[in-house]
Order: sequence, then structure tokens, then C-alpha cells
Amino acid sequence: MKAQMKIQQMAFMIVAVFFFFILVGLFFLAWQSRSLTTNFEDLQKEQALSSIEVIANMPELNCDSEKSLCLDEDKLNVLTGNLSNDYNDFWPVESVRVYRIYPAFSESGKKKCPSLECNYWEIYDSAQELNEQDESKDSSTSHESSQEFSSYVNICKNMKEAGYVYSKCEVGKLVVGARLAE
Amino acid sequence: MGAEEKMKRGEFNFVWLFAIIAGAAILILAVYGATRLADTTRFQTDTEVGKKLSIITDPLQAGFAEGSFGKIIFRSETRVNNYCDSGEFGKNEISVSTRSRIGEEWKLAGGATSIHNKYIFSSPQNSGKEYYVFSKPFNFPFKVADLILMTTESYCFVNTPEEIKNEVLGLNIPNIAVENCTNADDEVSVCFGSSNCDINVFGTCTNGCGDLGVYEEGSVLKDGEKMEYVGNLMYAAVFANKEIYDCNVKRLMYRTAKIAEVFSKKADLMNARGCNTGLKPDLYLISGMALDAESGDLIVLNNFAKQVQIKNDRELCGLW
Repeated sequence: MKAQMKIQQMAFMIVAVFFFFILVGLFFLAWQSRSLTTNFEDLQKEQALSSIEVIANMPELNCDSEKSLCLDEDKLNVLTGNLSNDYNDFWPVESVRVYRIYPAFSESGKKKCPSLECNYWEIYDSAQELNEQDESKDSSTSHESSQEFSSYVNICKNMKEAGYVYSKCEVGKLVVGARLAE
Repeated sequence: MGAEEKMKRGEFNFVWLFAIIAGAAILILAVYGATRLADTTRFQTDTEVGKKLSIITDPLQAGFAEGSFGKIIFRSETRVNNYCDSGEFGKNEISVSTRSRIGEEWKLAGGATSIHNKYIFSSPQNSGKEYYVFSKPFNFPFKVADLILMTTESYCFVNTPEEIKNEVLGLNIPNIAVENCTNADDEVSVCFGSSNCDINVFGTCTNGCGDLGVYEEGSVLKDGEKMEYVGNLMYAAVFANKEIYDCNVKRLMYRTAKIAEVFSKKADLMNARGCNTGLKPDLYLISGMALDAESGDLIVLNNFAKQVQIKNDRELCGLW
């Protein structure tokens, strides 16, 4: 009788210890998963921030090889066209947009380039790319977990007037998006 | 011995046996769990380091400068694997593994980070605590990209031409000694114009040579293999192995072709508003020739690129 009691005690103890370890394991996994998500998001943000200058200085977008943070309007128009599909895997960020911000940009008056009096260029959007692949997906949901980072840039184009060539520049904003959670 | 005493001993033995078996099982499970957890954590950390390496190299790119240099110091000895995929824009896949003092020295590397917009020239596998990263721009004839050169070894340049000496000394790269060789076993010697070193560089440029003089184009002999180069790709050929070099050159050529397409379409837009340029046919040719070009085609293509550069410089409405 006493031995049975001892065995029962031991069995309960083992079950308790087992559950204790399971709970500790679950707690650790939850913490690990949270830290993994945080680290992923931090890295994505860092990547987006450091990519702003890299993207602005890419020869596909930049005015020429001597001006930093200066985008060529003609190249922007070219890259919003058919050629942009070739670059889908190339971008280190989730989206690349450029806004002409003078005169003041408003969501209501936004007009996609290339067109007359347009004020924004959508160079790349991974969500749109995914939606094109899977039309059943709702585009609004894919934007919920993204964050945008921006920098002011010059948007210039070469003009020729009365035999003189000059750069006509406007103020713009380069906006890149980072996906924060899978 | 009485029956009661016998029973007590049996009870004692059973309790101890049970406790030992259960304790051992728990301990084995705990040790197994801890090992698996350590491996997972290490894989996670190595993957994060790989991703960080790709972020850290962003500001190390030359950009509009003639070149840039930076040093990456890891907390412990780290192995960086560089795999190159040459399909279309291609990619460099960087994975990292840290050295372990327990068990296997180098465990499986963390998850690879794919980098499509950078050209990292290095050995397929580098190990060390300090990594020297320097960057040089690549123009063909317009700016194509920044070359990122990553090494852990020490180099000694022998018979260095003045142009290259100035560039290297200007960047203040500590792992490259110019003429003052230490002759240490781990020092890699690089000879210019002769073939007595581990790596031998030959220049063949005769006309229209840029900052590198006769070494503007030529070939690099390394490990019995020949790598043709133009411009700053000379440094890439010196520091990378042939496989990575050829792959990255193929990627660079594809990008050259795509940038030529962008310029060609830009020319249409400029022509439409009266800022005329006659470079379109040349850009078509560059695009067509560079699309599938390899390192062996570089010198032939460079002759054409030089002519296009001269034409662009003469244009009132230059494209770049």
C-alpha cells in the first residue's frame, strides 16, 4: 500500500515536471517567435532605410553619375512602362514610388505618370505583382503590414531652349515600402 | 531477514530505480532540447547576420565617389559563403556560419540572403573575424553598378603602376601593402606586368585608356586561370575566384544591356521635346551585344563602349 502510494507520488511528480517543462518550452517558443518577428521587422526597416539612397543613385533612375538623390524624369517615365516588369526581382524593397510634391501633392489630385500633368510614378509594387499572379487576393490586406520610408529628391530632365541645354528640376519625394510581417 | 525488511528493501530499490530512469529520461530530453534549441538559435543568428551583411554593404558602395573602403568586424570568427547565380539580373546569395568551440567547428550556415542589386566579388568561402570591403564603380561606358570587393586575406602589390598605387593608397586599405611586402605565408602577392607572383596582372590597353592607364583593360592570371577585365573589374579579378568573377560579370553585362534600353527609351523622350541625340543606334548595339556577354567578350565590347562614350561627350544633349 505504501509502495503504491510512493509510485503514485512519483508519477504525479513526473507529470508535474513534464508539464512544467512543456510550459517553459511554450513560453520560450512564444518569446522566440516574438523576437524573430521583431528582428525580421527591424531588419526590413533597416534594409528599406539604407536602400533609399541606393535606389536614388541607381543608374536606371539617377540624373547622371555626379548628382546624389537626383532622379531623371525621363528614366522614371521609362521605368513605369513595360521595362519595369524586367526589374521585378531586382528591388531590395517591397515598393518604390516617386511623388512630385511641388505644387503640393494631394491624394485627391493624384495622377499617375506617364500622362499629362501627372504627379506620381509607381516604379514597383510587390503587392500589385502578387495580385496580378493571384487576382483573388485582396490588395488592401497586403498593404496593412507594410511601412513606408521616404526622402526628398530632385526630379530633373534635360531641356533645350534657344540652343541652350539646361536641367529643369522639381522637388520630389522617393518613397520605399518595407514589409513588416509575413 | 524478516519479510517486512525484504519488502522495504524492494520498495527502496523500486523507488530509486524509478527515479533514476525518469530522471535520466528528463535529463536526456532536456539536453536534446537544449542542443536543438542552440542549433536553431545559431541558425537564426547566422541568418540575421547574413541579412545584416547585405544591409551594411549599402553605405559601403562607392556611389559617386572614385571608391570607398570599410571594415566589418565580427565578434567571433565567421565564415561567409558567397554563391552567385547568373540568370538575367542574377543574384549573390550570402550565408554566414559562426565558428563553434563545442562539437563540429563549422556548423551548417544560416539561411542565405539573396542580393539582386549588388555585385559581391569574393572567394566562395571566406573565414575570419575582420572583413575588408571596398567598392569601385563600374562604367561601361555609362555607370552600371558599384563593385563590392570583400576579402579577409592580406595582399602585397609588386611593381604597382603609379595610377593604381595612388588609388589603393588613397583608399587607405589596410590589407593591401604596396611594395612593402612582409613575405608572410598568408600574404598573397600580386605582380603587375610580370608573372612571378600568386596573382599576375597584365595590361593591354593601347588607346583611349582611362584612369588605370595600360591596365584599363587586360587579364589577370590566378590559380592557373585567366580572367579578362576592363576598368575597375581588374580589382574584382584579383580578389574574387574565377567562378564568382565570371558569374558577376555576366550579371553586370545583363544590367548594362537593360540600362542601355532605358537610355534608348530616354533618347526617344528627349528627341520628342527637341533635345536630340543620335546615340540610339549605338545603344541598341550595346544592348544586343551585352545581353549574353561573358567575361571573355569584355575587351571587344569595351572598344565599342569607348567609341560610344566619345559620341556621348560630343552630344549637346548627352544621355549620361
